[in-house]
Amino acid sequence: MSFFAVALVVSLASLVVKGLFTCFVPQGRLPRALDRILRFIPPAALAALVAPAIVYAKTASGSTFAPARLLAGLGALVIAVYSRNVVVTIVSGMALLMLLQRVIG
Amino acid sequence: MPPPDPSVPSPAGRRRGGWTEPLRGARAVLPILVGVIPFALVLGFIMRQTGRTSAESGFFSFSLIAGTAQVATVHLFAAGAPLLVIVATTVMINMRYALYSLSLVPILQREPWWRRLFCAYIISDQSYAFTMAEAERNPDNGDMTGFLVGASLGVFLPWAAAVLVGYHAGAIIPPSLPLDFTIPLVFTALLAPQLKDRGRIASALTAAAAAVILVPTMPLQLGFLAALLAGVVVGVLLDGKREGA
Repeated sequence: MSFFAVALVVSLASLVVKGLFTCFVPQGRLPRALDRILRFIPPAALAALVAPAIVYAKTASGSTFAPARLLAGLGALVIAVYSRNVVVTIVSGMALLMLLQRVIG
Repeated sequence: MPPPDPSVPSPAGRRRGGWTEPLRGARAVLPILVGVIPFALVLGFIMRQTGRTSAESGFFSFSLIAGTAQVATVHLFAAGAPLLVIVATTVMINMRYALYSLSLVPILQREPWWRRLFCAYIISDQSYAFTMAEAERNPDNGDMTGFLVGASLGVFLPWAAAVLVGYHAGAIIPPSLPLDFTIPLVFTALLAPQLKDRGRIASALTAAAAAVILVPTMPLQLGFLAALLAGVVVGVLLDGKREGA
């Protein structure tokens, strides 16, 4: 089977998943109580994306615990809470990481 | 960026800023490109390593906008996995987008179907996160769809270009520079304003703890999905308790 065919099928299946509730489930059928669930999707998704990426570093042999990344990430969270600014958070987080990597490896 | 097209009419009864919100969305996502582009370069490099032609790589970049699922697909295809396995795997990896789409229903429900489908096609983790941050900070924004489209294209177009560069030039970023760390930093900056009440803080803490344990131990990003669900469940349970009290 050609790669183009595989790519097409995979892409169409993913499109159905990506638009599942906005395009493929009839809108009138969504219950109002759902609002209470929706509120928690962004914070839970963001936290689940962030946590493993700051606790572990990807190496050739897999994921290893990375204390410098964890400390820099926690520091960045504090800075983010107070600054509310994406660029400030990136710059200070990267500076913290490079500093900590020098100190604790 | 092409100039505004005056022949496209705005739907009646809705405030539309023309190009204002798409441009704001595209500008908002600029900082995350520092982390996204190295990943795209590596993905392009992997495409070539696993034997894909330049045309196949280019087609796949545009047909499926989801990096992890693309890596999985080219690996499985190169290993000779049957189509059903490849499709099931990528659907699992992308299942988080079904939850994203659930939380986008209030934003997109008035849009025509083709525009909702276009949004589903171009959305990414990054543009979703920036759009929800905008919805939180600026709930009266009359053109959230425009913001979402601008943010998504602002991530996707540089991404696709970087895949192409990575395919032809190889991984040109020195691995000693921890640029991958900028991605969690951006998500951290977007998470902070979400932590407004006890329910959402508990939801984030639960998801974080679960992700640290489950993401390295479960295959296909199922750990991420399980952590997301755990966070939502804890948030809803705490919310119910508060309302019952």
